[in-house]
Amino acid sequence: MDRQPPTALLSPQEWEQLLDDFASSSNPSRRDRWLHLPLLDLAVSSLLRRDLPSHLKPLLLSLVDDHLPPPLPSSLPALLASLLSFPPDHPLRDHLLVTVVSAFASALAAPISRDHEAPHLAALVDALLAAANRPNHAPDRAARALACDALRALDAALPGLLAEALGHLYALAAAERSPAAQSYLLLLASAARHAVRLGRLASGASILAVAGPPTPFAVPAHLLSPLAAPGASVAPPSEVNVRDTRKVLALLMDRPQVLTPAAAMEMMAILAEVASAVLQWAPAIAAHIKVQFGGMVHSSSPMLLHSLLTLFVQFPDAFGAEDERTMAHRLALAAREVHRPLAVRLLALHWLLGSGKFRNLVPGLARWFYPAVFDPLALKAKKLDCLAYVAAGVDGEKVAAADRASDQATRLLDDGLVCVSAFRWLPAWSTETGVAFRALHSVLVGAAPHSTDGTSCSGARELLNSTIFHHLQAILVDMASEHQGLVPVIADFTNRLLACNSHRWAGERLLRTLDECLLPRLEPGYQLASYYPIFEKIAQNETVPQHHLIELLTKQMVSLTKKHGPDTELKSWSQGSKVVGICRVMLKHHHSSHIFLPLSHLLVLTIESFPDLEVRDHARICLRMLSCVPGKKLRHIMGVGEQPSGVTPSHPGSLYDIPSPRAAQDLKSMPDLASYIHLERVVPLIVKQSWALTLPNFSVQSRPSGSILSIQDVSSAPSEQENPTGPTIERIGYRQETLRVMDSKVTITFSSSAHFGKIPSCHIPFILGEPPGSGMDIVPIDNQNREESSYCASVTIELEPQEPSPGLIDVSVEANTENCQVLSGSLKPITVGIEDMFLKASVPPDTPREGVAMYYQDLFHALWEACDSSTNTGRETFPLSGGKGSAVIDGTRSVKLLEVTPKVLIGAVERYLASFVVSVSGGSLVTILRGNGVIKNVMWEENVPDASVGADALVPYSPDNNLQLHLIDDEDIGVGAERYGHESKREMGTMRVMIFLPPRYHLLFLLEVGRASTLVRIRTDHWPCLAYVDEYLEALIS
Amino acid sequence: MSGGGCSVRAIWILTPNDTVAFSRRFAVVEKRWRAAWEAEEGDGEGDRRGTGAAPLLLPADHEVAAAFAERWRREGTARGSGIRTNVSSVGLDSWVDDPITRHIISLRLDKEEGDGFMLWPVVLQKRGGYYVLVLPLVDPQPFRAYENLLKRSDCGSSAKENGNLSSILFNLPCITGAFMVAHVVGDIITGDIAEPEVIVSSGPSVGGLLDSLTGSIGISARAKPIAAPVAAPTASLSSPVGAAQSDSLKGGVRPFDKDLLRNFIIGAMPFGTPQDLNYANVTSIRTTGFSGDPLPTDQKQPAWKPYLYKGRQRIIFTSLETINAALYDRDDVPDFLSVSGQVTCRAELEGLPDVSLPLTGLKTAHVEVSSFHHCVQASEPTANKQTLVFQPPLGNFVLMHYQAPCNIAPPVKGFYQLSMVSENEGAFLFKLTLMEGYKSPFIMDFCMITMPFPRRRVASYDGNPSIGTVSMTEHSIEWRIVSSGRGLSGRSIEATFPGTVKFLPRTVQRINSSFRSVSSIGYTEDSDSEQDNAKNGASLDDYIMEKINKDLHAVDLEEPLSWQVYNYAKVSFKITGGTLSGLTIDPKSVNVYPSVKAPAEYSMQTSSGDYILWNTLGKCPTAALPREL
Repeated sequence: MDRQPPTALLSPQEWEQLLDDFASSSNPSRRDRWLHLPLLDLAVSSLLRRDLPSHLKPLLLSLVDDHLPPPLPSSLPALLASLLSFPPDHPLRDHLLVTVVSAFASALAAPISRDHEAPHLAALVDALLAAANRPNHAPDRAARALACDALRALDAALPGLLAEALGHLYALAAAERSPAAQSYLLLLASAARHAVRLGRLASGASILAVAGPPTPFAVPAHLLSPLAAPGASVAPPSEVNVRDTRKVLALLMDRPQVLTPAAAMEMMAILAEVASAVLQWAPAIAAHIKVQFGGMVHSSSPMLLHSLLTLFVQFPDAFGAEDERTMAHRLALAAREVHRPLAVRLLALHWLLGSGKFRNLVPGLARWFYPAVFDPLALKAKKLDCLAYVAAGVDGEKVAAADRASDQATRLLDDGLVCVSAFRWLPAWSTETGVAFRALHSVLVGAAPHSTDGTSCSGARELLNSTIFHHLQAILVDMASEHQGLVPVIADFTNRLLACNSHRWAGERLLRTLDECLLPRLEPGYQLASYYPIFEKIAQNETVPQHHLIELLTKQMVSLTKKHGPDTELKSWSQGSKVVGICRVMLKHHHSSHIFLPLSHLLVLTIESFPDLEVRDHARICLRMLSCVPGKKLRHIMGVGEQPSGVTPSHPGSLYDIPSPRAAQDLKSMPDLASYIHLERVVPLIVKQSWALTLPNFSVQSRPSGSILSIQDVSSAPSEQENPTGPTIERIGYRQETLRVMDSKVTITFSSSAHFGKIPSCHIPFILGEPPGSGMDIVPIDNQNREESSYCASVTIELEPQEPSPGLIDVSVEANTENCQVLSGSLKPITVGIEDMFLKASVPPDTPREGVAMYYQDLFHALWEACDSSTNTGRETFPLSGGKGSAVIDGTRSVKLLEVTPKVLIGAVERYLASFVVSVSGGSLVTILRGNGVIKNVMWEENVPDASVGADALVPYSPDNNLQLHLIDDEDIGVGAERYGHESKREMGTMRVMIFLPPRYHLLFLLEVGRASTLVRIRTDHWPCLAYVDEYLEALIS
Repeated sequence: MSGGGCSVRAIWILTPNDTVAFSRRFAVVEKRWRAAWEAEEGDGEGDRRGTGAAPLLLPADHEVAAAFAERWRREGTARGSGIRTNVSSVGLDSWVDDPITRHIISLRLDKEEGDGFMLWPVVLQKRGGYYVLVLPLVDPQPFRAYENLLKRSDCGSSAKENGNLSSILFNLPCITGAFMVAHVVGDIITGDIAEPEVIVSSGPSVGGLLDSLTGSIGISARAKPIAAPVAAPTASLSSPVGAAQSDSLKGGVRPFDKDLLRNFIIGAMPFGTPQDLNYANVTSIRTTGFSGDPLPTDQKQPAWKPYLYKGRQRIIFTSLETINAALYDRDDVPDFLSVSGQVTCRAELEGLPDVSLPLTGLKTAHVEVSSFHHCVQASEPTANKQTLVFQPPLGNFVLMHYQAPCNIAPPVKGFYQLSMVSENEGAFLFKLTLMEGYKSPFIMDFCMITMPFPRRRVASYDGNPSIGTVSMTEHSIEWRIVSSGRGLSGRSIEATFPGTVKFLPRTVQRINSSFRSVSSIGYTEDSDSEQDNAKNGASLDDYIMEKINKDLHAVDLEEPLSWQVYNYAKVSFKITGGTLSGLTIDPKSVNVYPSVKAPAEYSMQTSSGDYILWNTLGKCPTAALPREL
């Protein structure tokens, strides 16, 4: 042999390691490192090594058998050589033989290479045939048997390999008397089968003819040919081969009792095939088969029983009706034999139901299918299948004695269910319950099986009218009314039918029955909640009228309302929510016209009297939808977008979850709430960019340090929208993913780090204000979509500033989502500017209307003086009315030059400051402003610009300024402009502006309006505001 | 083509930790599997390889282990497997909704490349904590048929429909064969390989095949005979206590002898097709060989009798009966009593003689069903008689099995009452009669009553029985009425035992995590529907029961009922000297041909199986007795 010895032998330790790596389940990659070695060669060549421990050697062969990939044909010669040179009495020889033969069988396939493969195969078969060819040699009978088995394995892998040696095999099998005879017989049978499959029977030559001695063996030609092996011939068998086949069969069937059950199973399978091939020409074989194998009906071996069953099917003429009855009876009884393994008892029942031949006999065996109390539940379940089959069949026979038959059917069902009747009080998930409901289902589909195409089912009409179906419904109704714990199981049962295309009608009928028979039995109260799963199913189904259910739910709401007390808040809320939830389901699945009246009554009742606010809210939404949205659209609306992004339901798809009470949702889970709800100011701020100055403990009294703690940006992004006149504060549009809110309102809360006092939260009743058809969907808005948003509401925020400064107001929103979770999140903050602090000074109540302007002017002058820091150290004390103390004013003054034309300035003042103007002086200015008519009820002083005003200017005029007068030719100044077109004075006049800054400060402007610029003199008793005022004035004219 | 027989592609033995303890693949069978699929693809049925229907290579061990673990994860619950529930989904075995899918499973192997495939039918046996998986060869057609069942979208098939599971199984004897392979492999790994017991009236039980063998060739191999402990006074497997113990064993399984198994497989099914699944025979041949054993001269020696006996000749029969009883002591519920029996035989006869044994009294004993060893040729039973002719194998074997009613008064009758007087205390009363109507030679060897409280811990008990001794364990009270060695014979006795039992207060039970059962899937208790039974005037027992049942676990489908929800007393006893069915053998009527002088011996023994006294005051499981249509 040209076999290369392995380059390196593995040590015992390496083998141990290798085997361990191959056995490792946890880390399959460990074996990879060995795969480069010629493991097959190494393993086989190591078998005879003396340095390897003996326990390791069988493992090496197992490695080849079980873990290495199928060997390639090229490795076969080496394997064969190992086998042939192996000591015959070595304990591992059998194992090696098995390994080598398995390798040959799995590596070779027809066509076999004539030069490379066939010689080795022939050598192997030679060796095996030689071993087998010593009949009745006593001591090596086990080895001879194994050789036969090996030949059979090769024959199975290479069909027809031994077809030409059939005569020899026949002789060997006939001669052998030792227990090894079994192997010889099986080998003969197997070879004969392949001869039949190859179509040899049609040949004129006898299949038993032999050309010479069994060895040397030659691989038959058909395995060497590249053409596919011929299929079974349709040609009839030749006479000689009918005879010879009968001869072979006679030997094989001679004494089947000498076979073990396992071998008998194999033998009977082959026999059946071979006998079938000649049965037409030798019909007596069938009778022979019955005689030889019929006795196995009493065997306790399941293998023999099952093999006999297959003979019943393959040789129907051999076994008569009586035999079939005996067999069926045996099978029914086999399931009762407690010594048999459970699986076998189950199989026996399957065999009964698995063939039409025996299935027809099942009804006559009904009494044997009664489950016994100690039968395992699996067996009870299968016996109940049989009883269900009988019951369905009995009931289906619409014969004269129909009543009696129906009685029998229902009695069978009742009797059968007794063994799992414990389910009536056991928990719903008990195995007994599962088995019982499985049986109920079995009855149903037994009576009305699915059709082959799965779309319809036969016997639907019959079943609906059948006693058994009525009885089944009665069982379920009773069960539901007496055992609330089973309601979910009944709901599941119904659902199973509803989900089936073929049995939907049965589920619907069942629901109607529950509606008609169960609902009247139920009383309102807390325990009614157990039935909600069924109610939900009823509400979902269009074919079930809803009035019973609505009536019951109405009673339930009344009952819940009555029982409500301090201890039952949670219960009322939970149960009420569920009831409204069912109403919602109804809305979704029914035409509103059918349910309108009773359902609206129920909802109104809830809205009016139910103790829980949230439930009332929820009911209100439902009522609104019921009354405003057309049914079709409503169902559509309710069907889409069940969940908004970012809202995680606690349990999807169920209405009946109890949410953790009022637990606010994590803000992180709703990061983009701001994209759904948008707040905008009605009047945009003039100051686009601002900042806030925060002072610690600022007060007039403790002012000294005045250190600045922080300066922060107030508004980061200007609101750039272009329709400032729109009333929009909140815009809600529809698009993309929808946010579904179940409340009738959204609650908005405000908070701020600025000193604005407590800002009350407010509710936006957005749903109720919504026009019909819009639903409750809220979708993110973007700029393109804004115009489409059809919903907005105004929110007014009242501040109580403790000091007049800009600031940010944080806004958060809370709402209830569909599944009663509380949804909350932040919106974009609202920017508050200094201008929001501008208020008109209040007028004493006794001031006559015509004296208001004068009062303001006087007040202006008084404050102007008081805030002059040059007088009296800038501090004046005013006694308060009523003599309860005095107000102290610490004045500050400043000045600002606005380099704009009067046209711009006047426009800005008229637009933003008109209500704060106290007086206007100077002829041209008076003329213009009066003509414009925006500023009213002020003191007009047409002449005498107050000289004193300009005298104390801190910064009179900028030297860079061109102080030359310009002609005013801007027509836009207004009506009065023309009249001043020739005005030569540099000054056009002055305006006095007085602003009250809450809580108790003032801001005074004296605007000296010039042709090219305007000087603003500022005085205030709240110096920090000067910083914002400067910015404000800049923004005013920009 | 699988051809109707049984060939096995592979055997795996998995541990509870989802590792492969043993595997064996049969390349010859695998070759046929591939050929069958390739042939079908060649037949123009379309290329199914891409759809992941069938693999052309067996998966590696670790893949099988992973697939099996994954299957447990998907449907390894007590209910989830075998019955369709609201958590079953298309593609799971439980979707098929048949309890046999607990034993014939499919394994899904999901390859990383997305080319997943399915292994079916994998025959599964759970033995000694191990999972034995046997994959027989099937043709593509039934494989597809089962695949269709898994995919059906309807509500579950019935026996009347084409392609239902029963018809698939009917046409696959290989599955039945695989069961037998799995069974014997299970026997080997659990060490449950003793031959059936044969009792000799004079002296100890006799041994099995190896004793016959070694005796015949003059070797004294062992001092102790093999004898199966049929009637040990321990709880039977189906008792809740026993079940709990076997569950707790799962964590640490006993290692088994892999060489023994490997050797057995080489002898029993060298190329994957089983030929002899008799453990004793196969291992004897493998270990002993046939050095000096002669061959019969004129007839074939059966394969199941590899050796011939030599020595003093005799033939021994033993009737072993097990009685199951549900005793209610109620007017509305009839007691249930059933005897399952077997006649075991040991024929120490030289050569290959035929033995004929006439059975009489079949009708008197109302024998319902009987089945016989495969060596037996039984005549059709006539009115009261049936003759068995058999060529006996060597060693002990079960000649026949039968089922019969108990044709004599129950050996232990009476009642057991337990009433809870408070949540943690119960009062009980036994009033029993033993062996009433049993005359000599009936002897009751021992009798013990166990009151199991698997979900309560017994703190103490109080009370004295009229006879016998009482002891307690953590979860039970045991009352020994008749002790071993002081058999009760020729008379009946009355035994009463009034007493009280106190339990430790209940704590929330933690279920052993290795117990793969999730019972409450899909159904959550609704606190709204909680009913306060105590307020509603229901009995205290009901109230306690309801409270206890909240943490109940659904039992496996292999159990007959939820034992834990009932109160009962379990009776264990052994009776010798007669049978309860009344079916006996007359040793004098035994004939051996060719005639030899061989004395026939016969002995009888009955032991208790599930012999249950249900608490007369509590709930009890029942079953309807059959009636004629």
